[in-house]
This record gives sequence, C-alpha cells and structure tokens, in this order.
Amino acid sequence: MSSLPRRLDVQEAAEDLRHRTLSALPQSLDRLIYLASMRDYNTGLYYHDGLAARFSQEVACEALADCHREVFRQLVACSLENVVCQMEAYMKSTHTSPGEFLAAWRKLEPYRVAVPVQVDPLSAQLLFSTFKIALAILEARLTPHPEGSGASPRR
Amino acid sequence: MIQLILFLLIGALLFLSLIFLVWRSPRAEKGSAALVEARQALVALQTGLLPMELIGRIFAREDLEYVRSQAPAPVCAMFLSERKVIALAWAAQIRKQVLNLMRFHLGSARFYARLTFRTELALALQFAGLLLACRALQIVLYVGGPYAAPRIVGATVATAAQVCSISEQSLAFLNSAQLGVLPVRPRGASL
Repeated sequence: MSSLPRRLDVQEAAEDLRHRTLSALPQSLDRLIYLASMRDYNTGLYYHDGLAARFSQEVACEALADCHREVFRQLVACSLENVVCQMEAYMKSTHTSPGEFLAAWRKLEPYRVAVPVQVDPLSAQLLFSTFKIALAILEARLTPHPEGSGASPRR
Repeated sequence: MIQLILFLLIGALLFLSLIFLVWRSPRAEKGSAALVEARQALVALQTGLLPMELIGRIFAREDLEYVRSQAPAPVCAMFLSERKVIALAWAAQIRKQVLNLMRFHLGSARFYARLTFRTELALALQFAGLLLACRALQIVLYVGGPYAAPRIVGATVATAAQVCSISEQSLAFLNSAQLGVLPVRPRGASL
C-alpha cells in the first residue's frame, strides 16, 4: 500500500513536467535529447531541481525516467519522414552548419546515449537505424547529384 | 510365505515412493526456473516484440517509398539493408521466445495448470506451426528483404498472439489463485 501514494506522486510530477517543461519543446526528438541531458551518465539517475523541490528527488527521478521512456516510444512510432523533419528542425535550432552537424552526428552517433535504459533492445536498434537513414537523407540533400543517378531529392 | 511376499511388496512400494519423491524434488526446482523463463518470454513477446506500432514501423512500406522519393540509390540500398537486419532480428527474437514458451509447456506447464490432452495437442501443433513460420519468415526476409513477406509476418504475429494468450492463461496462477481449464483453440485459426 505504501507504493500507491508514491506512484501517484510520480504521475503528478510527470504531468507537471509535461505541462511546464516538455510542452515548450515542440518535437519528440527535442524532448528525448532534453530528457537524456537530465540524466547523470555515471549513475543513470535523473536530476531536475525544480521538480525535486516541488516533490522529492526520488519522485522527480522516476517522473523524468517515465517521461523519457514515453518520448522514446513516441519517437519509435514516428515515420521516417517525420524523423527526417524533426532532425532537420533540430539541426536548424542548434545554429551549426548542416555539414558540421551531420558529420558530427554520423561519426559520434550521439543518439546512442539518448535512449532510456529500460527499453526493448530491438526498438532501440530500430530507432538508431532510423536516425542513421535520416542523417544519410539529409546529407544527400546537401550534396548535388548528377542527373539520372537515382531519385532526385524533393524538399 | 504369502505374508512375507506381501510385506516385501509393501516395502518395495514404499521404497519406490521414496525414490519418486527424491527424483521429483529437483525437477520441481527446474520447473520453477522454467516458470520464470516462460514469464519473461511472455513479457518479451507481449511488450517488446508483438506491439503493432513496432511491427508497423519495421515493415512500413511508406518509409521505403519515402526513401525512394527523397534519396539516391545508395541511401535506398542502405535503408533496405538496415531494415533487413532489424526484420531478421525481430523474427529471430520471436522464434527464441516462442521456443522458451514451448519448453515451458512441454516440461512444466502440467504441474501448474490443468491442461486437457486435446488442449496440449492443439498447443503443440500451434507451436510447431509457429516455429516453422518463423523459420520460413527468416529465409524469405534473408532472400527477399524486409518487404518480401507481409502475409507471413501477419500470420506469424496473429499466431504468436494466440500462443501468448494461451500461455498467459497457463501462467495466470502467478497473478491470482485462479486455475481453470484452458479453452480449446477455435478451428481454422492456424497459420
């Protein structure tokens, strides 16, 4: 019985996070990266001062983890076209040159550390693959193609 | 003389009972491990491998059409290769988890759930069909790529869901004390 009010606290904290913070981030990709950035890579625990002050550190951590998994599932369910659009918008929001951004993402694969811990490995593999293809599509748009060498990219 | 034979028979029976009890004890432990494995396999299938949003994405033809319209041929080839790897991994995972469930049903299910012979036979046939379908799917995906066998994918998913449903009932006593006879599969529901 003692876990019931705590679970309710976590749900309330998650709702608070969705309403106050995540709603300001328009896309699932932005939210995924934001939530991953709230996680300590050494411990795997999430930190959010505002949420911890309102609830407790433990509740805030669980709420952030719940939201992270939720956003991950949303992103896995997105079509490739949608992911390409999200990645393009994210790339623009970083104010780096597209060439640099794409090269860094292709080499470093930062999205690999942006997924929650307790997710199905196959879903994670699918998302990584989708990101990889999305990067290739965006890169193909940057480089000019000779006539008749395949599909002409539409924008 | 008859009394002696009678006592010897009773002694032998008691001795055999003792051997049976000693033999059954580690088997029960093995059974509990199989139970945990079966539960994990069921959860992996129901939450990780069979949700429609995941299957829909792995085999989404709209993604292929989008890549074809947006990217040059090497990117299309890369896309097909990537999706093929994931589709094969998905089919292999389904097969692995179905095998785990089958092991449970073959070895331990009768200790925990009252299964009629008819139900066991129907389940065995369903498992055999499902494993065969998974193997066929792996071959077709390997040879023809991720979009080669949408019907086999659909049939595999439907049968796997049925097997999960029956297995869930076999494992239902973990959630409640309720034990019931499993329903017999409807006719014509095979692959």
